[in-house]
Amino acid sequence: MRDLERRPWSFGDIGIRLVILALAAVVLMALQATGRLEPVQSAITQLTSPAQVGATGATSSVADLVDFVVELRNLRQRNAELEQVTSNLLVENFELREVQRENEVMRQMLRFAQTRPGLDLRGAQIVARVIGQESNNFLEYLMLDLGAGHGVAVGYPVVTDQGLVGRISEVTETTSKVLLITDASSAVNAILQSSRLNGVVRGSPGGDLLMDYIPQGEVFSIGEVVLTSGLGGRFPRGVPLGQVIEIRQRDIDVFQQAVVRPTVNFSRLELVMVVTNFDPLEDVPELLVPEAQPGAGEVNPLDAEGPLPGEVAPQGGTDGQEAGP
Amino acid sequence: MSRGALYYVMLPLVAAACLFQATAAGRIKIYNVQPDLVLLLVVVGALIYGSRPALLWAFVGGLGLDVFSGGPMGSSSLALMAAALVAGLGHRTFSRFNLLVPLAAMALGTVVYAGAYLGILAVLQYLQVAAHRVPLQLTLQNVVLPATVYNVTLMVLLIPFLNRIPERQDL
Repeated sequence: MRDLERRPWSFGDIGIRLVILALAAVVLMALQATGRLEPVQSAITQLTSPAQVGATGATSSVADLVDFVVELRNLRQRNAELEQVTSNLLVENFELREVQRENEVMRQMLRFAQTRPGLDLRGAQIVARVIGQESNNFLEYLMLDLGAGHGVAVGYPVVTDQGLVGRISEVTETTSKVLLITDASSAVNAILQSSRLNGVVRGSPGGDLLMDYIPQGEVFSIGEVVLTSGLGGRFPRGVPLGQVIEIRQRDIDVFQQAVVRPTVNFSRLELVMVVTNFDPLEDVPELLVPEAQPGAGEVNPLDAEGPLPGEVAPQGGTDGQEAGP
Repeated sequence: MSRGALYYVMLPLVAAACLFQATAAGRIKIYNVQPDLVLLLVVVGALIYGSRPALLWAFVGGLGLDVFSGGPMGSSSLALMAAALVAGLGHRTFSRFNLLVPLAAMALGTVVYAGAYLGILAVLQYLQVAAHRVPLQLTLQNVVLPATVYNVTLMVLLIPFLNRIPERQDL
């Protein structure tokens, strides 16, 4: 005779387990969207950031070792070259000593300024270590070891000596996340250095940048340097973004496009600078529109530097977004 | 390593994979794509032990990934759970020692994971909860396809290890 008695539900049943875990994931998403997960996230990041710092350090050491082994073959040849370079460097060294003296003077001036808070400090940049990279292939973020406690705030631009890295999208007390310019959600108003043409640089899956909204009929060339234009007020002006490596021009399109290779090597980033003396014009008091509304694939170039991912939208349109300066 | 011992170290392995994924996986990018190590572990777990325990590993691994990522919390968990369900089909239905089974499970798992993750991002954007813009066609072409190849290649390297673990030896 068939046993008609049903087994009581338990977590071991695959269906029940699936439903419970899926519901838990959805609840977490909802909590994060309403901002109620922030304290927990902050606590978890504080707990995990030392491990991340350690792992990143260990990874760097291993990567350096691997690089060294790979380059061992070339070392002899390079040695000869380096001996020649050394003689040139001796001359340069004299010049650098001069710069060092100048540097010491400037440091003294900086100390002087720090003791007088009434003075407006320029060039106040925070150097942060990259402690984490994006953990999946679809989004482009970095995690830094500096947070709100160090004066970092959402919207601050992040740069290296090579160019623009991105901007701060999330901050906890001790860490912060940077939305890279290579992320598809990112948009930066840019200008071509030689031809002075304006456009919007967006990230694209695959790592290259795409400069859009370049008017038809305008002439520019491969190899041109792309800089931030400062329009929109979210990034400082004149920071290098990359170099044009391909021009996409079709007569049926309204605008031309340029494929831009970033000047920053995002896979080898270790130290970055957070620009803290730049006030981004974040016109985002409470609510924001997501960047790409359904059916709104084209964006006004002047409005291009949109809200950060994760920012929530108003129901009433795009009035909350900032336009040009 | 015996089948039973692996079961108990899966959670720590998943946690370690999350940390590695967030710190070092970027250094082994090929064609700008990094391997999905947590997904790889979940698929391996699903092939050996079935979907039931793999769901839990997927949930925990997804949370780990989301803590380190800029994406919505819980999205990676859901996507990995979908992949675990699909990969778990290869647990009893087919012999794991057939070369094609782990490779197909990995390929299918990657596609399902990517599809589910992109779907969740699209839904969140539609609901105006978050604005992660991911162009579908370019992402499929430049990210999902290379990632599938990368993950399947890693699975090829894992097959000798997988084949040393006995099949159908329930705990």
